[in-house]
Amino acid sequence: MRDGFDVTPRSGEGAGLWFLKILTGFLVIVVLIIHLIVNHLIVEGGLLTYTDVVRYYQNPIIPIMEIAFLILVVTHALMGLRSVLLDLHPSNKVLRLINYGLVVLGLGSIAYGIWLVLVIVGRG
Amino acid sequence: MAEHPQKPANLIKWFDPRNKSLGSWAFILNRITGLGLTVYLFLHLIMLGQLARGPEAYDGFIALVKNPIFLAGELLVIAAALIHGLNGIRIGITSFGIAGGKQKQLFIGLMTVAVIAIVYFAIRMFTH
Amino acid sequence: MTQTWTVTYEIFRKKGNQASHYDRFEMKVDPDEYVLDGIERIWAFNDRSLVFSHACHHSTCGACGMLVNGVEKLTCITPIRSVTKDGGVIRVEPMRNFPVISDLSVDMTVFYQRMESVGHQPVVSNGFEDSKGKFDPEDDLLRLSDCIECGLCISACPIALTTPAYLGPAVLAGAQQSGDLNPCVLDLVDSENGAWRCHSAYECTEVCPSHVDPAWRIMDLRKKLVSRRIKKFFGIK
Repeated sequence: MRDGFDVTPRSGEGAGLWFLKILTGFLVIVVLIIHLIVNHLIVEGGLLTYTDVVRYYQNPIIPIMEIAFLILVVTHALMGLRSVLLDLHPSNKVLRLINYGLVVLGLGSIAYGIWLVLVIVGRG
Repeated sequence: MAEHPQKPANLIKWFDPRNKSLGSWAFILNRITGLGLTVYLFLHLIMLGQLARGPEAYDGFIALVKNPIFLAGELLVIAAALIHGLNGIRIGITSFGIAGGKQKQLFIGLMTVAVIAIVYFAIRMFTH
Repeated sequence: MTQTWTVTYEIFRKKGNQASHYDRFEMKVDPDEYVLDGIERIWAFNDRSLVFSHACHHSTCGACGMLVNGVEKLTCITPIRSVTKDGGVIRVEPMRNFPVISDLSVDMTVFYQRMESVGHQPVVSNGFEDSKGKFDPEDDLLRLSDCIECGLCISACPIALTTPAYLGPAVLAGAQQSGDLNPCVLDLVDSENGAWRCHSAYECTEVCPSHVDPAWRIMDLRKKLVSRRIKKFFGIK
């Protein structure tokens, strides 16, 4: 920053992530609308008991939709969080930690979600 | 030589809407709802873990969330999602250079939709 | 017929490493005078040690940008009537996000260097595009560029508030306007602290005294950067 130019190459905000954020954001809206329609208009009586949920997951489209939704939301949320953290202007070292942390958190929660969906499907 | 006045602590000034234009309100709202929804996402994933623990745990959990405090929380999530999503549409299209000059009208329009939807969901949730 | 208002100027003072404070000057003004006129009178009659920058008095030089009651204004074209009322207060502070040299004067060296390095042209062809669309150049007339490098947009930007490394709206707009995205410029604007950092708060366009519409230009710059990348990906020159 000595002379006003900070172009040390690092994976801060970039074209790819920006585009991905808008894309996942848009897809989240689309899937959310489908999710709401299916949950509240097509399924009779909602999903308020365990048996209902398990029955709901027997249709193979549902787990696929839910997993897609999970991946999109987690990606979008963590990229958004990263944007907020980047505005704190972390040093390269801290940024690397943030990147690893977010990737681990993201993959972890996606794996957990998929495991959960498979458990529920398996109970049918 | 005088120092640059910026520091990460200025972060808090983001959330100071005094003397700011509509665009900043949108930015502030988007940040707050975004962070809130991220927290909710992980809480939600943890809560859904109850499904794995069998019928009793999950049905007990559903009984718990039917009380008004949880319903209010749920309404907050719906409101945040609506605001963030609709504002996201605005940011998305203006980011591609579409309707940039109309961003204020767009914001007012979309937020009107959000408010109507929030009121609708509130009435629906609390009268059932 | 001229009116007379009594207003109080609250002026930010800071010299060197001293702590900052506000000096109050109560004075009689014509509400149709400009904020800068009052500041000059304070300098002339009350306190010769007051430091502030100004030059042209008609919004061409961009030197007199300050924070007036918390909002970025070019003080030479801001009527007192528009910022306060009779008996009211005008709080004048230096622009945000720049190092304060003394009182109301800020150091804009880095900003000017950046403007130069993205190829901002102070003189442009008359047929230049802006957010309202492309004008058809009838002839090759030249005019001064809209951007007067006053720095108000950088002072208003919530991202510039957190880091001095962010290039800032005027610089990105300058890159968009110059149209010459050579590798050096790309290095600056297509980077972490360039066009991708903007979070669409539109404050820059809000305070710009000169119809540059920096927010629109940043979005347009993004469009250009993305299309460049797509072309590069498919190997199109």
